[in-house]
Amino acid sequence: MKCESCNKKYATVHLTEIVGNVKKERHLCEECAQSVNTQIAKVPSPTEILTNLINQVAPGINELSKIICPVCGLSYLEFRSHGRLGCPMDYTVFRKGLIPLLEKMHGSVQHVGKVPSRAGKELIKKNELMQLRNELNKAIEKEDYERAAELRDKIYEISGDNDENK
Amino acid sequence: MMKISDLADNTGEWLRGTGPESDIVISSRIRLARNVAKYPFLSRANAKQKKELEELIRTKIEEAEVYPTLNYINLSELSSVDRLFLVERHLISKEHAEGEKERGVAFEKSENISVMVNEEDHIRIQVIRSGLELRETWKTIDDIDNKLERKINYAYSSQFGYLTACPTNVGTGMRASVMLHLPALGMTHHIEKVFNAVMKLGLVVRGLYGEGTQVSGDLYQISNQFTLGKSETEIIEIIEGVIPRITSYERMARKALISESREQLEDRVWRSYGMLKVARMISSEEIMHLLSQVRMGVNLGIINDIKMKTLNELFILTLPGHLQKLEGRELTSSQRNIIRALYVRKRLEKIETLKG
Repeated sequence: MKCESCNKKYATVHLTEIVGNVKKERHLCEECAQSVNTQIAKVPSPTEILTNLINQVAPGINELSKIICPVCGLSYLEFRSHGRLGCPMDYTVFRKGLIPLLEKMHGSVQHVGKVPSRAGKELIKKNELMQLRNELNKAIEKEDYERAAELRDKIYEISGDNDENK
Repeated sequence: MMKISDLADNTGEWLRGTGPESDIVISSRIRLARNVAKYPFLSRANAKQKKELEELIRTKIEEAEVYPTLNYINLSELSSVDRLFLVERHLISKEHAEGEKERGVAFEKSENISVMVNEEDHIRIQVIRSGLELRETWKTIDDIDNKLERKINYAYSSQFGYLTACPTNVGTGMRASVMLHLPALGMTHHIEKVFNAVMKLGLVVRGLYGEGTQVSGDLYQISNQFTLGKSETEIIEIIEGVIPRITSYERMARKALISESREQLEDRVWRSYGMLKVARMISSEEIMHLLSQVRMGVNLGIINDIKMKTLNELFILTLPGHLQKLEGRELTSSQRNIIRALYVRKRLEKIETLKG
């Protein structure tokens, strides 16, 4: 069978088009088929198909894939394709995506092991400050200004060298 | 600074073949992954940051007096053969050897302790011991970690624990592994059963050099997969609980082999021993197999003129990096096969003359 477009080469591509209820068959050679193909409705690329699918199935993932860490510049998509995080902050920035991932990997999302004593000290400090502030509020309510001043000085003293954790 | 060739004459203490269950358990190893707060992980760090980190960690290791005699080697100054040598010694990981820019390793003379700087994580502490000694190993590494942590502000979150470059390590940042020699389970095709049982406990089985390496010489590493949600001691308890069951299973398989086909087993062991003594070319794969057979033969009392330590060492000393270090030049694989056979023959001849 010859190609119906150029009528020179053999038809090796056989297309079936359905327009409405009418079925139309076309027999083309490789070259002509290619030029026809580009005219036929634009076929979406695999990425487009995937993106569409993702949007339909889980719109959240698309939102997530747009997130970029302001500290190291890594995008969530890059993380998912390489499996490596860029900086400690990513655990906070990509939290939403990481939680189900960690759950799958470890069967848990809460650390229960060792605590660095440094972090421990800061935790203790934080707790202490919280308690002192509560006491201070109570002292002010009771109009015990002498006690309040004492507490205020103590709070300053403890938090003074630790601006980050106020 | 120390030279790599200073190491070539001997091997690490963890190959001595001592400690609990050491007929089957070659070694126990724990590593901790740690990162310095306020720095990007290494995949996002630029050359300047890598240099800063290397300098910072190197000095802090010194200041912390982690161990009185730690040697520090800058890997970016080493040849590829030297780096391969350190991988074979289990002092650095493959990734660390193949890494880029400023990175190094501090290790103790006995080679029980090593601290990798700028690996996948900023800091990877590792402790290895001979035999099944995970608890002791944990005590040592916990102490080193405490000392370092007084000097270095680690990246840590109260929810996710120690923050690591790969989320598979986050939490404890700990990988505890035990290296086992299981020839009889392999021979009797029971090894699959062991793997299935182990996997149900959330543990993984790997080859001699960890992740992605092939199993050879019937040597297997069993380690924890999860690092989040369980404490370090809980993880160790899970591994320590399962290992004695595997070792007794291996011993049972060996007993069965002896009672059912003693001659066949003895023949296999002696042939392997003979091959090591006479062969003129041995590939790295073949030697693993031969050494594995002989090692089992020694354990079963079939062969009694060779020490466990010698056999354990030969597994490492006949690896490509070691042979090239020994010869002091790069070798093709067929050249290595000749040198390997020669080296083993010499080591075994020494035993013969000592006997005479």
